[in-house]
Amino acid sequence: MSFPADTIAALATPVGTAALALIRASGPAASTLVQEIFARAPLPRQAQHADYRDLQGVLIDDVLFTFFANPNSFTGEDSLEISCHGNPFIAQKILADLLARGCRSAEAGEFSKRAFLNGRLDLSQAEAVMDLIHARSDQALAAANQQLRGSLGRHMAELSTLLIKTLAHVEAYIDFPEEDLPTENRQNIDKDIDTLIINTDRLLATSHYGALLRNGIKTVILGEPNAGKSSLLNCLVGRERALVSSEPGTTRDYLEELIIVGPYCLRLIDTAGLNPKPALLEKRGIEKSREQAAEADLFLWVIDATRPRPDLPSEFSQHLTAKNTLVVYNKCDLPVIDPSPLPQPFQCVNISALTITGLTTLQDALAKMASSFQVNVGSEVIAINTRHTQSLEQAKKCLLAAKIKLAENVHSELLSSDLMTALESFAQISGKIDHERILDELFATFCIGK
Amino acid sequence: MGASTLLLTGNIDTIAQMSCNPAIGGQAKGQMVREIDALGGEMAINTDLTAIQFRLLNESKGPAVRSPRAQCDKKAYQFRLKHTLELQKNLQIFQATVTGLIYKNGRVVGCQTNLDIEFMGHTVVVTTGTFLRGLMHVGQNKNEGGRLGDFSAKTLSASLIEAGIELQRLKTGTPPRLLGRSINFTGLQEQKGDAKPTLFAFHDTRDPEDLFHVEQTGERRLGWSPGSEQVSCWMTYTTPASEKIVRDNLHKSAMYSGEIEGIGPRYCPSIEDKFVRFADKPRHLLFLEPEGRSTNEYYINGLSTSLPFDVQLDLVHSIPGLEQAVLLRPAYAVEYDFAPPTQLFPSLESRKAENLFLAGQINGTSGYEEAAAQGLIAGVNAVLKVRGEAPLIIQRHEGYIGVLIDDLVTKGTIEPYRMFTSRAEHRLLFNHGSAELRLIEHSKPHKLLSDSRISNISHKLSRVHYWQNYLENTRSGAGIWAEGIRRDKEIAILPSELNTETPEIREEVLYRVIYAGYLDRELRQVEKLKHVEKIRIPLEINYAAIPGMRRESALKLAQFRPQNLGQASRISGVNPADISILMIQIAAQRRAAEQS
Ligand SMILES: Cc1cc2nc3c(=O)[nH]c(=O)nc-3n(C[C@H](O)[C@H](O)[C@H](O)COP(=O)(O)OP(=O)(O)OC[C@H]3O[C@@H](n4cnc5c(N)ncnc54)[C@H](O)[C@@H]3O)c2cc1C
Ligand SMILES: Nc1nc2c(ncn2[C@@H]2O[C@H](COP(=O)(O)OP(=O)(O)OP(=O)(O)O)[C@@H](O)[C@H]2O)c(=O)[nH]1
Ligand SMILES: [Mg+2]
Repeated sequence: MSFPADTIAALATPVGTAALALIRASGPAASTLVQEIFARAPLPRQAQHADYRDLQGVLIDDVLFTFFANPNSFTGEDSLEISCHGNPFIAQKILADLLARGCRSAEAGEFSKRAFLNGRLDLSQAEAVMDLIHARSDQALAAANQQLRGSLGRHMAELSTLLIKTLAHVEAYIDFPEEDLPTENRQNIDKDIDTLIINTDRLLATSHYGALLRNGIKTVILGEPNAGKSSLLNCLVGRERALVSSEPGTTRDYLEELIIVGPYCLRLIDTAGLNPKPALLEKRGIEKSREQAAEADLFLWVIDATRPRPDLPSEFSQHLTAKNTLVVYNKCDLPVIDPSPLPQPFQCVNISALTITGLTTLQDALAKMASSFQVNVGSEVIAINTRHTQSLEQAKKCLLAAKIKLAENVHSELLSSDLMTALESFAQISGKIDHERILDELFATFCIGK
Repeated sequence: MGASTLLLTGNIDTIAQMSCNPAIGGQAKGQMVREIDALGGEMAINTDLTAIQFRLLNESKGPAVRSPRAQCDKKAYQFRLKHTLELQKNLQIFQATVTGLIYKNGRVVGCQTNLDIEFMGHTVVVTTGTFLRGLMHVGQNKNEGGRLGDFSAKTLSASLIEAGIELQRLKTGTPPRLLGRSINFTGLQEQKGDAKPTLFAFHDTRDPEDLFHVEQTGERRLGWSPGSEQVSCWMTYTTPASEKIVRDNLHKSAMYSGEIEGIGPRYCPSIEDKFVRFADKPRHLLFLEPEGRSTNEYYINGLSTSLPFDVQLDLVHSIPGLEQAVLLRPAYAVEYDFAPPTQLFPSLESRKAENLFLAGQINGTSGYEEAAAQGLIAGVNAVLKVRGEAPLIIQRHEGYIGVLIDDLVTKGTIEPYRMFTSRAEHRLLFNHGSAELRLIEHSKPHKLLSDSRISNISHKLSRVHYWQNYLENTRSGAGIWAEGIRRDKEIAILPSELNTETPEIREEVLYRVIYAGYLDRELRQVEKLKHVEKIRIPLEINYAAIPGMRRESALKLAQFRPQNLGQASRISGVNPADISILMIQIAAQRRAAEQS
């Protein structure tokens, strides 16, 4: 059996569940990737430490990578495994860079599929893998179908229909040169391409939201030591996830957990308390809190309501806005003092992490805040994934190229080639688009035939 | 290929008779004729030698979609081809009408004829065109026949059905023919042939004695040669009076009165259709085309109709230039049986009866070029089948012939299928000049061309590669040659040695260099598809039993029975996830088979 010559890449660990994320690439380009990205020789089965720099040379993370030569890899092909820090944005960036370097994002179960097809799994395992793949792709199918039947599918259908109409106008003049057609109206074609680009952009704009939906909205809990941050996390998670003690400085490293509030998935991150005069070890913890804060989508600023409020250090407060921050006055089961006015008109909730009073109010407020990330296309909610993004970006590139061709009055066959490639890209999302539809449109629009 | 072959025809004099307009080529079809030439077919050379007008279409739309078209001398075309067949070694021609096929154990083994003579053979290729239960309509008038003046093959249909082959009806039509001297050409716009004709056959790789790929004894016919006069066509238009005549008599049209059940082609609408469906269009363009040098008969391109004869007469007289025109033959529509082509393997062998091949209009196509392409492939495969060798299958990315057959066998058709360039995903790879270079991988192993021509093509290909490589990698003063060429296009300065190559080589090299970026993109897409084309689907697969597959996809797959994953993925309604599931299933079955 012959195998796909392309190299696929994907996250191999579920997002946000581990301190390290594993990204796997499999296919003939794996060894070239090692040389290009790390400027190292691809030594099989040796974990190497290196800086991961993207195509533009920007440092993304220091990582551990391992190269596996075929057939001694999981898939049986040349493979590359990259462990980076468990921050999904780093992982996403690395993945995006691998795609930019020519990898294709793997479909659900595709690594297992290749492993199986390469004979890496024996027959007894095969059945199990089949089940696994079926289960996965059924899930993937269910999810994709939902979007396909629903909002995304409708938008893709609209895009394809308009593109097919545009193509029919170009094709009519190519396929029927002898016909008595009205003069070719290139302005209309240009207008249609503009509409296509705008609508493609609208869908592309949902890609960040898509990532948020899938990876969780990053929500960082900040506050002074002992304010009850870890208690708050436990209370939202619903179990004793974080260590809690009356000692200030209990939490040294950050820790994260996925939670669901309303229809949203949040990646909750507990951080080390912001001690104005930190001990050496605390300093490292605060440094990490700062890194987390820099990439947060939402903040929960926990304040001990029984004590006068200290100000946040400026490197933290600069990230906080009324839109992304919820102030949580904790320990409301105890006698509280009058709060001093906040630096901005933040929304506030009063709770007790100990007795769980105010939890629903907090959850409602969080859900409301999360909803502001939602991107609407028309009146619908759409969230595309990395694979969709890749295809739409490809389509957009072709549409832009077509526009230039139109302006420069290049041969129609090249204009058409760009538009056809854009159609193929749309098809990668919505499934095969029958070229017959171009002819259908063409015959419906033009009086053709002798 | 040296196989001993019998050609049975109802009438030897109508071999290669063009039922409709004696024009060969045009959009996509012109490219296909060149592919036919690249695979040893006779159509191109026959056209070059009998054409009376040549035109290259789409000059301005780009080199890939430029296509040659020729108006032929109808009789010269058919008689030259008849002569060629007579001279073909190993071929025997015999006049008899086939009345039925003879089967044995689910295989076809021969045929019966109206003369009560039976002929036996390893493989049978059926190419009945529009003759299977052909029924012609002129208004309410009906006559049996596949073509005006011809017979109708009435019993053969039953014999195909007996093998389990499903048949359906299609319809096509043809305009009236006029007497040239009754036409008033003054005031009509003339359409001349190109000063420098674009020929169909690859003359640059043919040796003089190779002009006929068949051995030629007897006198050699002098063909058309550049410089000999071409014949003009003329243009005229329908008038408001024409429209009124058609509208007033719509109820008498065979098509509009429900007389005809077959589906007609959308790209060849009758004049009734044109007035009804495009009511806002004030007039419709018509071409007056001569049918030959030694006849005064003219064809009115664009006036196909099934209106009664008296209405046709009024209609013709309402057209400028045709006020006094005399009709030699009426326009008519013809209905006929076809066998939906999804019942075929890509080799064009029937899935229902082994050793039976179908080609041409019987497969739901329309057009001489489409028929010729299938006839060629079916013929080659009928021989390969006898030899027990793998069939010749042209892939979708290799040429229009590949697109044609793949479309037919995987998607089928509900109207007479005609080739269009937009049916091809990768048409930039299909520029007409590259046909024999593209297809040498097939012509060579099957010895479809003479040894000398194969070696000339190989040489041509290596020159093209040499120059591609040279231009992409050699500096000329300011920069790389290829970059200068891509920038300056037609006006680019070329290395002087390149100018000493043949124009065909030069043209192909420049095409590949100027279009390099696009061709690369297309080739990358092709590469992606190729591996799935190679994954064969076992015949005995039970789609309904595959876990996880959507029911809709399973039904579609069971209906079309694709042979490989590539075909499966082109069936509309089968989504990519189901293809993955199918792929796993195939691998699992194969492993299971290997283990046991
Ligand atoms: C009225 C009409 C209008 C058309 N209009 C168009 C058009 O507008 N555009 C276009 O592209 N194409 C048109 N065509 C189609 C074109 O002519 C055909 O597609 C093409 O000729 C098909 O080739 P073929 O070899 O399949 O069949 P044909 O050319 O029809 O040849 C069939 C041959 O088989 C022989 N035959 C049939 N049955 C038997 C039998 N039982 N025993 C022995 N011999 C038999 C016949 O004698 C005939 O020689 C038209 C055809 C007709 C008849
Ligand atoms: N009475 C009361 N005590 C609370 C509440 N929330 C937290 N505490 C107590 O406050 C102390 C500190 O709680 P933690 O959750 O560890 O505080 P923290 O903010 O994570 O502290 P550091 O990790 O050290 O920065 C513990 O003794 C908790 O039991 C509350 O709502 N009411
Ligand atoms: Mg803590």
